[in-house]
Amino acid sequence: MRIPRWRVAIAPACALLLIATGCSSNSGSGDATTGGSVNLTVATFNEFGYTDDLFAQFTKTHPNVKITQKKVAQSADAKTNLFTKLAAGSGLSDIEAVDGDWLPQVKQSADKFVNLSSDTTKDRWPDWVVSQATTTSGELLGDATDIGPEATCYRKDLFEKAGLPTDRDGVAQLLSGDWDHYFDVGKQFVSKVPGVGWYDSAGAVFNARVQQLANPFSSTKPTETVIPLDQNTQIKDLYNSTLTASVDNKLSAGLGQWSGDWQKAFQNGAFATMQCPAWMQPIIKTNASGVTSWDIANVFPGGAGNWGGSYLTVPKQGKHTKEAQELAEWLTSPDVQVQIFLSAGNFPASKAGAADSKVLAATNEFFNNAPTGKIFSARAAAVTTQPFKGPNYFTINTVLGEAIGRVDVDKSANAADSWNKAVADAKAQVK
Amino acid sequence: MTKRRERREHGIRRPGWLTYLVLVVAILIAVYPLYYTFLLSSSSQIEIAKHPIPGLIPQGNLLSNLTRVFHTEGLDFWGAFINSVMVAVIQSASVAIFSTLAGFAFAKLRFHGRRGLLAFIVATMAVPPQLGVVPLFIVMAKLGWTGQLVAVIVPGLVSAFGVFWMTQYLSGALPYELVEAARVDGCSMFASFRHVALPAARPAAAMLFLFTFVTSWTTYFWPSIVLGSQNPTLPVALQLLQTGYAKDMSLIMSGVLLSTLPLLVLFLVVGRQLVSGIMAGAVKG
Amino acid sequence: MAHDARKRTLSTRMSLLDVKTAPYLYIAPFFIVWAITGLFPLLYTAYISTRKWDLLQGDLGPAGLSNFTFVLAQPGFWQALRNTFSIFLLSSVPQIITALFLAAVLDANLRAKTFWRMGVLIPYVVAPVAVSLIFTEIFSDRSGMANALLANIGVSPIGWHADTLPSHLAIATMVNYRWTGYNTLILLAAMQSISTDVIEAAVVDGAVRLKTYWYVILPLLRPTVIFVIITSTIGGLQIFDEPRMFDLTTIGGSNGNFMTVTMYLYNTGWGPQLNMGRASAVAMLLLAVILLVALFNLILSSRISSVDNPSGRHGPGRKTGVR
Repeated sequence: MRIPRWRVAIAPACALLLIATGCSSNSGSGDATTGGSVNLTVATFNEFGYTDDLFAQFTKTHPNVKITQKKVAQSADAKTNLFTKLAAGSGLSDIEAVDGDWLPQVKQSADKFVNLSSDTTKDRWPDWVVSQATTTSGELLGDATDIGPEATCYRKDLFEKAGLPTDRDGVAQLLSGDWDHYFDVGKQFVSKVPGVGWYDSAGAVFNARVQQLANPFSSTKPTETVIPLDQNTQIKDLYNSTLTASVDNKLSAGLGQWSGDWQKAFQNGAFATMQCPAWMQPIIKTNASGVTSWDIANVFPGGAGNWGGSYLTVPKQGKHTKEAQELAEWLTSPDVQVQIFLSAGNFPASKAGAADSKVLAATNEFFNNAPTGKIFSARAAAVTTQPFKGPNYFTINTVLGEAIGRVDVDKSANAADSWNKAVADAKAQVK
Repeated sequence: MTKRRERREHGIRRPGWLTYLVLVVAILIAVYPLYYTFLLSSSSQIEIAKHPIPGLIPQGNLLSNLTRVFHTEGLDFWGAFINSVMVAVIQSASVAIFSTLAGFAFAKLRFHGRRGLLAFIVATMAVPPQLGVVPLFIVMAKLGWTGQLVAVIVPGLVSAFGVFWMTQYLSGALPYELVEAARVDGCSMFASFRHVALPAARPAAAMLFLFTFVTSWTTYFWPSIVLGSQNPTLPVALQLLQTGYAKDMSLIMSGVLLSTLPLLVLFLVVGRQLVSGIMAGAVKG
Repeated sequence: MAHDARKRTLSTRMSLLDVKTAPYLYIAPFFIVWAITGLFPLLYTAYISTRKWDLLQGDLGPAGLSNFTFVLAQPGFWQALRNTFSIFLLSSVPQIITALFLAAVLDANLRAKTFWRMGVLIPYVVAPVAVSLIFTEIFSDRSGMANALLANIGVSPIGWHADTLPSHLAIATMVNYRWTGYNTLILLAAMQSISTDVIEAAVVDGAVRLKTYWYVILPLLRPTVIFVIITSTIGGLQIFDEPRMFDLTTIGGSNGNFMTVTMYLYNTGWGPQLNMGRASAVAMLLLAVILLVALFNLILSSRISSVDNPSGRHGPGRKTGVR
């Protein structure tokens, strides 16, 4: 019928939203059920790698527990789902998976979640992983499942065309340095191979650079004091240098990440390198299926970075919060994380998991058998900090992402005008 | 009883070739996007990326793509299909019946507050639906219906759109004289509804049934919130095709094709009767 | 005798009761279900719009009219309103005109008429989400079919996502694709219900075909035309799915160039701000706008169809007209 009644209306149905994070892979299972009297539901999105067999390991030692998984394909849908049910006060699963990007908002409603800090999980994760999920008063709201340490993915054939080294170690050496250095090599590249971008998107580069700052948008920890964008010289410099390199020096292929154009560009060799968190591997593999020249180098401009990662939370709404917490702790234990890494590819968030010998031995056939376990383990170990994400972090990051997109992708504004619009937008939206 | 006769088309002469040309163009436009879906679902990720304009001849991957849909982990196609059929049939029948009743009352009966109530119903359609989600979820949770099919079915049992549609249709198609004649003949209100309004309303009610069916069938958001992946309707189940960030258009389009196919079949079977029914059953004043 | 009289009064009384209550009984089912699933959410929204209300934290105290004044002061809200109207006009106007035209064509004495009638309704069975997927693919800025076809005839690529008017056109195309055939059939059904006598009378009168259409058929279609216009208005002003699906990485384009009011509402409530108070205020404002436009359309369409209506000559038509 003509009227999109409320039932039809908010359908951000198919496809991908949010520059978020997550983990994706092609294996795993849907709704898994095993027997018992305490019913626990686990709500996940994308691909957490939870299977019947995995749950059976838990229920073997907890015969009274029955576990059911609720899967949502898109993290955006999962977020709407979580927030709607939090607002309604009921309907949530016993364990709700949360994307690291929503944590700042979840933290504002800390009273609706169980404090998960416990002796069992003490020292399980690196400090920067734990601090993302810890409130100002010290409560731990989520047990970390996976992280997104960033390496550099590149196309051998295009590097060869430009006369650059093509082996992993050579590329790692070539790109080792700060972002200016990365841009300089890029300028060499585009002068040799005109018409091909050095990287896919200015937004991705900008995002990666923001992720390396301790306090990108606000001045203090632990409470957020937003620096008005027009006074935030650090971000303005980052914005300008990223756009100069991307647009003026033509290093960016000008593709909006996740768009249809972006996905198809993998088949058409439109760019040579990419900022590559561990969970990007299956995405490149799908988008670039049939292309044989992708490889991964153990290097990241500016040192190290993490992009994304997820957590398991236990809403207080649930009837069996104690059992739920126990399950969440088990699901995020190093042992289980290693199993999931091997089956689904999600990189373990725990210290022990990341250093496990089975993880270190992993290789990825699509990327010419690159030793991805060793590479991402090394990249994870290099990460020391994550930006402080207050309630307004996401708002400002979105506004800046759009500003970059106007110049890099849409070409509908120049850098200066787009910045001014971002300043005004941020002013209107910051709480 | 209503005076019925063989439907005669407006216009006595057969129209010329220009008319048919217009129709051929209209139908090509109508069909191409669906054919495009078919072309993409018979293609592959790589081919789609390389050729923005797909060739007119389908490629050979349709079966393998459809198999992939059926073998997607956690996707119970037939379970979801049955849920969708149940929701769509119950809602369409209910909307058609209740809308005809209310439409008859609004169009042809005189009662206190008639115009006000009708305006009110139309106004309810203007309420932006997005905000209803949270309060509605609260209602469903209070009733203990979350996760069950009934939570999807009940809110769609009536439709302001349907009432408005039947009112407008009946006010044009059903002359007052007939209603009054029935009353004079001593029919009770319900009898006059059955004998006078129902036959007149039949084509419009059938259209309403089809429209409601399509709406129910394609609704995604509310079922995804209130049902989740355990007991899904078809659109909710098919979203599992897009798990992860890499979307394979050939797979997604195969899902689109699979979910559209039942409607197309229904449409070809029922629609034929329906479309000719509209024409044959229309009541003359 | 006395018994008989009493029976008659009883039956008269029953009949009177029947006449009085039956209409309410007929409309009752709608109102009962609607009270739970429609009225409660509406009142709840109206209430929240006067509160400081965070989606997750709930009620944070009274807000008076501050939610409304805040929203009205946002350039983003006005931009969203402009976008909504632009997309609405680009979709509903051509759509209704085309539908009227196609309905008139289909109303002719065609060969294989069922085939043609079903043909135009085919797009309606494609789910809105699927339509959006299909057309988003076609309107991709670089790798889409639309620009590839344009390139073949030497037209430089159009920024279907980047620029305001092209993005509105692309979204309006999705709407028009799905709904034109549907409206055509609704109008056709109404045309078919018009008595042939009326039309024959007009033809005997010597009215030419176009004139017959304009002066005779159109006025008789008034209830249905009003229906089509009002529902298109409401649906058009609430447009969400199509622009939302058109670009999932931004909310209505990086310039906000195709952000509609419902997207603005959604983003205010569920986006980074989580401000349900303001989102509810947007909903109430949109409700007011839709009612105003619908009322305006109603008045306009009654005007148009009554102005030139030679009602004296075609009395029966007037009688069966709208309430």
